[in-house]
Amino acid sequence: MTFKQKLCLLAGASIVAFSSSAFAASTVRVTIAEYSKGTGPYFQEAAKAFEAANPDVKIQIEVVPWDSLQQKLTTDISAGANADLSIIGTRWLLDYVSEGIVAPLDEHIKPEFKARFIDTFLTPSVMNGKVYGLPVAASARAMYYNKDIFAKAGISAPPATWADFKTDAEKIKKLGGETYGFGLQGKEIETDVYFYYGMWSNGGEIVKDGKSGLDSKAAIDTAKLYKSFIDEGLTQPGVTSYSREDVQNLFKQGKVATVITAPFLSGQIKTEAPKLNYGVAPIPAGPGGDKGTYGVTDSIVLFENSKNKEAAWKFLDFIFTTEQRTKFDKVEHFLPVNAEEAKDPYFADDADLKVFTSLLPNARFAPVIPGWEDIAKTTSNAVQKIYLGQGEAEATLKEAAAKINATLK
Amino acid sequence: MQRATAPYFLILPSFILAAAIILWPLKEIVSLSLHDVNRFGMLREFVGLEHFRVLFADPDFIAATWRTLIWTACVVLGTLIVSVPIALILNEDFYGRGIARILIMLPWAISLTMTAVVWRWALNGESGMLNSALRDLGLIGSNIQWLAEASTAFPMQILIGILVSVPFTVTIFLGGLSSVPDDLYEAAATEGAGRWDQFRLITLPLLRPFINIAFVLNTIYVFNSFPIIWVTTQGGPANSTHILVTYLYELGFRLGRLGEAAAISLIMFAILLVFTLIYVRLAMREEKP
Repeated sequence: MTFKQKLCLLAGASIVAFSSSAFAASTVRVTIAEYSKGTGPYFQEAAKAFEAANPDVKIQIEVVPWDSLQQKLTTDISAGANADLSIIGTRWLLDYVSEGIVAPLDEHIKPEFKARFIDTFLTPSVMNGKVYGLPVAASARAMYYNKDIFAKAGISAPPATWADFKTDAEKIKKLGGETYGFGLQGKEIETDVYFYYGMWSNGGEIVKDGKSGLDSKAAIDTAKLYKSFIDEGLTQPGVTSYSREDVQNLFKQGKVATVITAPFLSGQIKTEAPKLNYGVAPIPAGPGGDKGTYGVTDSIVLFENSKNKEAAWKFLDFIFTTEQRTKFDKVEHFLPVNAEEAKDPYFADDADLKVFTSLLPNARFAPVIPGWEDIAKTTSNAVQKIYLGQGEAEATLKEAAAKINATLK
Repeated sequence: MQRATAPYFLILPSFILAAAIILWPLKEIVSLSLHDVNRFGMLREFVGLEHFRVLFADPDFIAATWRTLIWTACVVLGTLIVSVPIALILNEDFYGRGIARILIMLPWAISLTMTAVVWRWALNGESGMLNSALRDLGLIGSNIQWLAEASTAFPMQILIGILVSVPFTVTIFLGGLSSVPDDLYEAAATEGAGRWDQFRLITLPLLRPFINIAFVLNTIYVFNSFPIIWVTTQGGPANSTHILVTYLYELGFRLGRLGEAAAISLIMFAILLVFTLIYVRLAMREEKP
């Protein structure tokens, strides 16, 4: 075959390829955040199952690492090249809604569909009375504790209050060696949230009456409490160099006795440190008996500029069936968002998950306010300064609160 | 007349290409920096120099600017100082030189982000390689939390910066050294010049243009270098290790303030432009006589 002939063939083939893709009905592009290495395969499989049932729709899955999701969405949206559906952090949703970028889903949602969800998890995606997203991933936070370390230090039960927790941490310190009672996160995303755990226990709020709660007595007490843990050597040294993953790793290695984090750590421990003897307990309460945990959902949204809204909705309907949700949450170790799914013995009888679901009535979700990321960053910077001893607790928090109040206006 | 227009006509295609890939984005960024922009890059009202005013009132931006200059100066000068002796040694003929050259070049073959990720693990306070190595050697008694504060994190970042810049710089120097004729050294040796004099009076002057080019290219790369700092500390704790490019990324893509991010990128562009102009001036003046 001469070169020319080959070229003709190639051109012919590409014309065929083009025309066939033009006839195969709508393609729905879906941007997926990669929660674990199982995320991509799960969605590929779900897409195949969906395509088998709906031959006129093609699903194209794009998996993005969670860390660069926001950047990808920002650039895609500004270029008008975004997918039809995407996972986003529910805390970003307000910005998307106020710019008119995501479409309300109410016209598609039938009572039967709405009834599938556990209300607590659907509510954060409702704005101005309209549903703008569906909770694709849900988690809450609780305290993981190392039973062996606790037993060695002569502690019989997980701490009920922060005062007990401090006594326990002191006992663990007396064991000597490089084991620390309180695994404290001080770096990168959710450094602020780790601070809120204590603040909520002390009766504080992130935002109250439209003003930052960082200058409240609860916040200042928490900062002083955490700082005393650091100064007395009850946390791992150098807390500002430990991100959430780093603290979780220390816990898996048995170097810290506690860490406050999400249900997915159970799954990681199962595969990475199966011998670790741990339990899950509520986050300790404050002196007034206040308790709190952080509830987080990620939402899957439908973009306003999507040309395949009907087909996209069909896919949403499919992945939110009990069967698909059960598969997904088993892969990711998230909390069930579907009421039927929650009854599955896999979730209902799991000792760890039981603790998480029992905490949900006290769960706080990220407040629906503009500039949430800005506020989170300001808070993280302030608590890092306090942890490092570069700023006195009260003054630093008051300064941060003033900055946040300016953002909130 | 024809002679005068022909050159312009001939450079027109490359000029159009350059305009498309340089001038058009520049125009877009200028317009972003002068408007109120939402986090998805949609322009709202014209605000003039407001973003620049906000930046110059922002202590974190001012600190990041100074830190960028320190970062660039330390990494570039450090790289040059380390690379000259390495290039001289690798230029000697010795047994195992091939392997030594490969080892020096190896960091170049790995993406910068991967190198930075490896270092982030190595610098981990409790389970990092560096601490355990230093402890095994008996140099430290307790773990150092390298990335916990800027006073230890930033110098380590500079060292990593030097380490990854060395292969490129050594390559340039080796090219330069191979063009120095051997008979110059032989002649100098017969005249009684020692090794130090040979280096000072022959090698260094002949290597001069290569040092210059390594200096300029490294300055541009390092000034704009993002992965090392972002991967190890993300500019933290409390913004204390940000350089301009990481601060820009955080403002633009984390906090959704694209207008201010665009303004920073223009400021960075201006700094590099001024630097390059000064450099070109100096280099030309030197070459004239």
